[in-house]
Amino acid sequence: MEQGWGDGLPLIPPTEGRVRMHLKMSGRFPDEVVATLLPLRTECTVEKIAINAVMAGAPAESMPLLIAAVEAMAEPKFELQSLNATTGSVVPALIVNGPIRHQLKIPFATGCLGGVAGPAPAIGRALRLLIRNVAGQVIDVTSQSTYGTPGRVSGIVFGEWEEKSPWAPLGERLGVKGNAVTAYGAMGTANICDMIGNTADHFLQMIGKSLAYPGANGFLPSSQWSETLVAINPVWAEVIGKAFPNIEDVQQKIFDYAAIPIDFLDPVYREPIDRCGRLRADGRVHLIQKPEEVFVMVAGGMGGLHCAMLHSWGTCLTTTKPVRMPA
Amino acid sequence: MNRGLILDPTSHRSDDISDPGPDLESLAGKVIGFRVDELWRSWDWVSEIWGQMLERDGATVKFWRARGRTGEVGAHVIEELDAFTDTLDAAVVGLANCGSCTSWTIHDALWAAKKSIPTVAVATDHFEELAGNLSRRGGRSGLRLHILPYPLDIRQKAEVHDIARDHYRSFLRTLGVRDRLAVQPAA
Repeated sequence: MEQGWGDGLPLIPPTEGRVRMHLKMSGRFPDEVVATLLPLRTECTVEKIAINAVMAGAPAESMPLLIAAVEAMAEPKFELQSLNATTGSVVPALIVNGPIRHQLKIPFATGCLGGVAGPAPAIGRALRLLIRNVAGQVIDVTSQSTYGTPGRVSGIVFGEWEEKSPWAPLGERLGVKGNAVTAYGAMGTANICDMIGNTADHFLQMIGKSLAYPGANGFLPSSQWSETLVAINPVWAEVIGKAFPNIEDVQQKIFDYAAIPIDFLDPVYREPIDRCGRLRADGRVHLIQKPEEVFVMVAGGMGGLHCAMLHSWGTCLTTTKPVRMPA
Repeated sequence: MNRGLILDPTSHRSDDISDPGPDLESLAGKVIGFRVDELWRSWDWVSEIWGQMLERDGATVKFWRARGRTGEVGAHVIEELDAFTDTLDAAVVGLANCGSCTSWTIHDALWAAKKSIPTVAVATDHFEELAGNLSRRGGRSGLRLHILPYPLDIRQKAEVHDIARDHYRSFLRTLGVRDRLAVQPAA
């Protein structure tokens, strides 16, 4: 802790014996460079991942997932350098697909975004320690995040309830079948509640309109992208899936509803939005720039009634990597 | 008490260029490029005043506006940055006035500085430390920084123009201009 290696919570000492077990479960050589992490531009080796995983309490079996997550975050299009420096409260959220969800007990049902007793917070914490200790993100040194977010301590790690989804798994739709991890630059999590609606259109309308709050980064004229992640509970997903079996139709509906009339904004905000071509012919501004930027997945408890929305920061592009299990 | 060996979870880079790079020396006949952005009107206002004053003092001024940093657009922006900095005798890169824009400002300033042209990254006071830390971690702790007051973006245009005029000569000194322009009282 005195070395500045930690997050303030107790750490498990990364002894050689403990690290060796993690390395064994990775199936990789310790000195293999997985990625270069920004802003420090340092090489992240398998051994560094193992050491930080031990410190965080992440199980040795999670090493393949951790390695894939590092690969995803290090993709240039994920823009880790500015993500780590920003005044925004962005944190890479990790969505896990494939059988590995079951093997690693990654939560995807009730309480999946927090509160389930299992390894997900420790896996998330391992990645946060890597970002601190290897990438070099330290508050007031290389990070100016005005508020930060609880997700910067134990990460946001959850799975998709594929078995309840009427659509193909998110990872597959993003190019990776089976075991996959998707890194998404999330501005935290927020809740949408609907206890009145009972049709697909009701739910999609409530989701879309709830997403479109004026202070969302997606509305910033300077935001290059407006990717948006929506985790729909399995009860709503069944209703929506019957009405819209093609996921593209769901994306289009949410895109259409996630808009505000330009008159809702003070004139000082209108000119820059208009200048960058975001004002539509119908006088509305869409939060999301194109329907493909809506990422829909199924997760959450059978209690339904709620939906989770994770707005994006607006600069990173979501990346998906396969999780390669050791032979 | 039992003592055991624990392994280091951190990684470090040791390479560093602490030299600020070449001075501009004089302005006459030099091509000075401003990297502006899509975020800060206040930086547009500062750079337009500095640009006018530099031209008055004999330099030629060019502007280039940075845009998105990821995807195909991001790759194109880097190509543009590379081509732009190839045409310059000196680069002025801003504005480091938030976390991410500081990272991009320093990134682009390091891009110019590696071409051995006098380069100044411009930051506001609150983001000076971040800019310094990122340039050091980028391998060039000696990168020249010019610091403007903070907050800048909530000031009116006339006030920002006054700040630009007040800072002009100290900005020239940061750029390494050593002749009378950098030291004489403002006109």
